[in-house]
Amino acid sequence: MSGKRKMFIYGGIVGLIGAVLMKLGNPGNMGICIACFWRDIAGALGLHRAEVVQYIRPEIIGIIFGSFIISYITGDFKVKGGSSPLIRFVLGFFLMIGALVFLGCPLRMILRLANGDLNALVGLVGYVAGIFIGVQFLKKGYTLGKSIDQPKIAGFIYPIIAVILLIFLVVRPAFILFSSEGPGSMAAPIAIALVLGAVVGIALQRSRICTAGGFRDLILIKDSYFLWGLIGIFVFALAGNLILNFDKFHLGFIEQPVAHTNHLWNFLGMVLVGLCSVLLGGCPIRQTILASEGDTDAGVTVLGLIAGAAFAHNFGLASSAKGVTANGKFAVIIGILFVLIIAYGVIVDTRKSNSKSKKEVKING
Amino acid sequence: MEEFYCVVTFHVTQHALIFENFMKKNNIDVKLMPVPRQVSSSCGTAAKIPCDIEEDVKTLCIKEDIPIDDFHHVINKKGTSWFSKYITK
Repeated sequence: MSGKRKMFIYGGIVGLIGAVLMKLGNPGNMGICIACFWRDIAGALGLHRAEVVQYIRPEIIGIIFGSFIISYITGDFKVKGGSSPLIRFVLGFFLMIGALVFLGCPLRMILRLANGDLNALVGLVGYVAGIFIGVQFLKKGYTLGKSIDQPKIAGFIYPIIAVILLIFLVVRPAFILFSSEGPGSMAAPIAIALVLGAVVGIALQRSRICTAGGFRDLILIKDSYFLWGLIGIFVFALAGNLILNFDKFHLGFIEQPVAHTNHLWNFLGMVLVGLCSVLLGGCPIRQTILASEGDTDAGVTVLGLIAGAAFAHNFGLASSAKGVTANGKFAVIIGILFVLIIAYGVIVDTRKSNSKSKKEVKING
Repeated sequence: MEEFYCVVTFHVTQHALIFENFMKKNNIDVKLMPVPRQVSSSCGTAAKIPCDIEEDVKTLCIKEDIPIDDFHHVINKKGTSWFSKYITK
């Protein structure tokens, strides 16, 4: 089977599972949404107090287990880190702000589109624009530095977190918060969500599909290999929705579930997400997969996502079906500027150290 | 069916672009591509080059100070995926 066809099928598995999970009870066009699901987990842990979005999403636990186990079996599990962790945390933080202003991560953007939500098309244009800006930094030499080997135990932290989350989900201790209404109360059965999450984790670990990587490679090296994975997600999610969720399929901008129609902020929110994703080397789901296969830098990024989600709700930055908040607009602008400054600072520093090492070579030579 | 090719990997994406530009100027057949799955589980950028000029390319990179990470020989064999390996055991 050709590589692109494999990508299409792996993506298809993810897209189909997105449609199935929606059918089984997950919120509208939110069969899988990494940003929303980490946000729900942050809420369940009490890191924010938005009562309608608090739930320990078993899909995330399944994705971590699936990715961890398959990477361990196949030898991909390598514990590395130390590549600008604080910058990664900040980029993850702002990525989440952008995603919660748009109302979804790039994966949910594709799933929204596959169920007729045309606001996601605006988001997609913004996402590609953000990636395009990020690619210009890559061309100029942007890098967060080489990661190095870390103590092996560090690679087990995310699987351990997943086990603890699973215990909280099953035991439901009083200090864990669960929504009784709103999107946080809508969920597929735990066991099924866990298993399907694991299948998603395995498919994405093996395929390395990344929503940012697909567009980045198309722009940067004119290669469509990873893009076929995204096409697979869209096509299979669309087919799945037409078969399983036809009563909820609705083509248009208005009255879409967990979405708003403010085009400018759908666009700019996803510009921020695209920019951060390229500068991080992967979108939220890719970061979650990498964190599960021993990449401690991705682990720090996911912590940034969680912190971003908590702040987004505590500071009233997250949008809702009613629209975008004034704080949210301000945060997106600040986020874009801040991330651009970080990227520029990294390039300046990289150039300085490159010319310094060349001078040293000349002196020694 | 078996496919055999060579790729160069890089620490920084920009280095891949510099490498491609330089090789093209020297009429060397080069194509940028995602890092093959057999090489790494990362999704970075690699450069595909003919295997028979590996040493020439290495010499050129040292001489012209073009930073590369490593050379890899990639073999694509049908039926050697992680899944088929387990079901044929």
